[in-house]
Amino acid sequence: MKITHAILLSFSTILLLFSITTYINFRQAELVNTNARNFERSSIIIRHSNRFQRNFLSMVSGLRGYMLTNETFFIQTYDSSTHDNQRILAELKTLVATDSTQQSILRDVKKLNDHWVNDFANPLLKAKKSGEVSDSSKFAFTSLYRTSLTEGAEKKIQQSLQAKFFEFTKYEYDYRELQNKLLTTSTQNTKSISIILTALCIIAGICIALFIAHYISSRIINMTKMANAIAEGDYTVLANDKGENELSQLARTVNNMAKILGNNIAVLKRQRDELDQFAHIVSHDLKAPLRGIDNVVTWIEEDHSFDLPPKVNEYLALIKGRIKRAENLLHGILSYARIGREDKILEVIDVNELLKEVQEYIPKKTGIELRIQSSMPVLFSERVPLLQVFTNLIGNALKYHDKGLGVVKVYYRQAGDKYEFFIEDDGPGIETIYHEKIFVIFQTLQERDHVESTGVGLSIVKKILDDRGLKIKLTSEPGKGSVFSFEWFKIENYE
Amino acid sequence: MNRVVKILLIEDDTLDQIDVRRALDKKSILYRLKIAKNGEEALAILAGTGDDIFNGNPDIILIDLNMPKLNGFEFLARIKTIDTLKDIKVFILTTSDDKDDKERAASLGVSGYITKPLKLESPSSIDAFNLMIDLMNMQIM
Repeated sequence: MKITHAILLSFSTILLLFSITTYINFRQAELVNTNARNFERSSIIIRHSNRFQRNFLSMVSGLRGYMLTNETFFIQTYDSSTHDNQRILAELKTLVATDSTQQSILRDVKKLNDHWVNDFANPLLKAKKSGEVSDSSKFAFTSLYRTSLTEGAEKKIQQSLQAKFFEFTKYEYDYRELQNKLLTTSTQNTKSISIILTALCIIAGICIALFIAHYISSRIINMTKMANAIAEGDYTVLANDKGENELSQLARTVNNMAKILGNNIAVLKRQRDELDQFAHIVSHDLKAPLRGIDNVVTWIEEDHSFDLPPKVNEYLALIKGRIKRAENLLHGILSYARIGREDKILEVIDVNELLKEVQEYIPKKTGIELRIQSSMPVLFSERVPLLQVFTNLIGNALKYHDKGLGVVKVYYRQAGDKYEFFIEDDGPGIETIYHEKIFVIFQTLQERDHVESTGVGLSIVKKILDDRGLKIKLTSEPGKGSVFSFEWFKIENYE
Repeated sequence: MNRVVKILLIEDDTLDQIDVRRALDKKSILYRLKIAKNGEEALAILAGTGDDIFNGNPDIILIDLNMPKLNGFEFLARIKTIDTLKDIKVFILTTSDDKDDKERAASLGVSGYITKPLKLESPSSIDAFNLMIDLMNMQIM
């Protein structure tokens, strides 16, 4: 599985878990709201039912009061309570759920109420009113009053009503209690589920983070190791990663790169060896016929120079000169090819002593003074290449000096963990356009007939310094002279 | 006593053959020079199967290292196993200035290592050649 997919999947999982938690909490909040609404409605219902009962008692007392005292004040009480109860019943009907037990109780209540009003109260009131008019009517009222109020039928209705209301309110109270209980339970459940889910989210998050971090870092560490090994020249190290994710692909790419790099380096090494071998064979095999020609010319000179016309002797001398030049070139190729092939030997080098040795190798030039700074430093480095660099640079400064009198100065300065050495002359100088060219093998700025030069010296210097990652600089002004400066190690290590 | 020194030169290059002859001519010695172009030819001469101008073994063998067929070192190794030949003085005559070659020659018990060409400018070469001539003179006397 790809790492991006793994990360995406893990975060989606966490997100999903959080969404579920939120949804559950939302549902719970709704439940609480609904319960609060139900509670409120239930409270209204109970308040209404209490009021209905009070009103009914007012009706009863109003009716009785009127019957006994004939005061119209009682009739007013009776009327307003009756009216109010009609309204309460209508309202209760809307509050109570249809088709519920409460609704049927309510219907019974209404029936009883209507029964009481229509079958007792109203006929009594009617009879009472007409009783005022005639005696027969008065008698009719009295008999009705007796049957209605004293025989207990009316009392029964009241009791039934009371019983109904008791049942009604009890149902509401029970309902509320049940709802409360359910709500408490669901709140408790929601809390537990929320805690569990949140904990799961956190644990899952930590696990995923740890897994991904470990997964990625272990591979990266692996690849870093590999890259280091490659940097140290071991191209055979391979990260063994068969996965399908991006890091495995990267590891395989690095493997591939190492393989290609290894192959290329092997090819380069082989080519370098071949080139060296080629240079060796070419210079060695070319030397033999050259030597042969040289021999024959020498024999002619030794045995026959007196018999030959002067012109021929002159030409023979030219041939010898060219042979010498060819030999020098071959020697140059060999020296150039040999650079960096020797084993690295580090030793203490007193540059003062080294420069004395250099002077032994360089032919002196009259009029040109070699001025070397006193107390040159002491190094721990490779002697032979440094000797070669000094010999070639100082040798060039003397060889190409074009004035009768001149000075070649050698001095140095500190340059961090290296020294910078300077070879300064007041000779012909070098034009800027040639500053790159002079370091290329076989390039020389003077006609070969003028100064015998192979054009290898500076290229050897450059190769020695390049191989060690050291810099060489040239500042020069035509006609005034040149300053060559190069870096060299103070203390070198075996790698 | 004017004894003639017998020299077997094993050398494939005509110019080098002339070079050796000229160098010998400049010395006041009498010599007889037989030339073989390679090690095999030299072995044939030493075995007496070729035309024998020596009447027996040569006094000195001068041998080039780099030759076709049997090269100098192979030839040296071969004659060191043959009782009748192993005491002949052998001088190497080569263009090789290689340290390994010199050490190998020394280990095979050669009497001298002469580098070509035989010129005054290369003192070591002339020294080695003169050593060979001194040896010849000693044998003559």
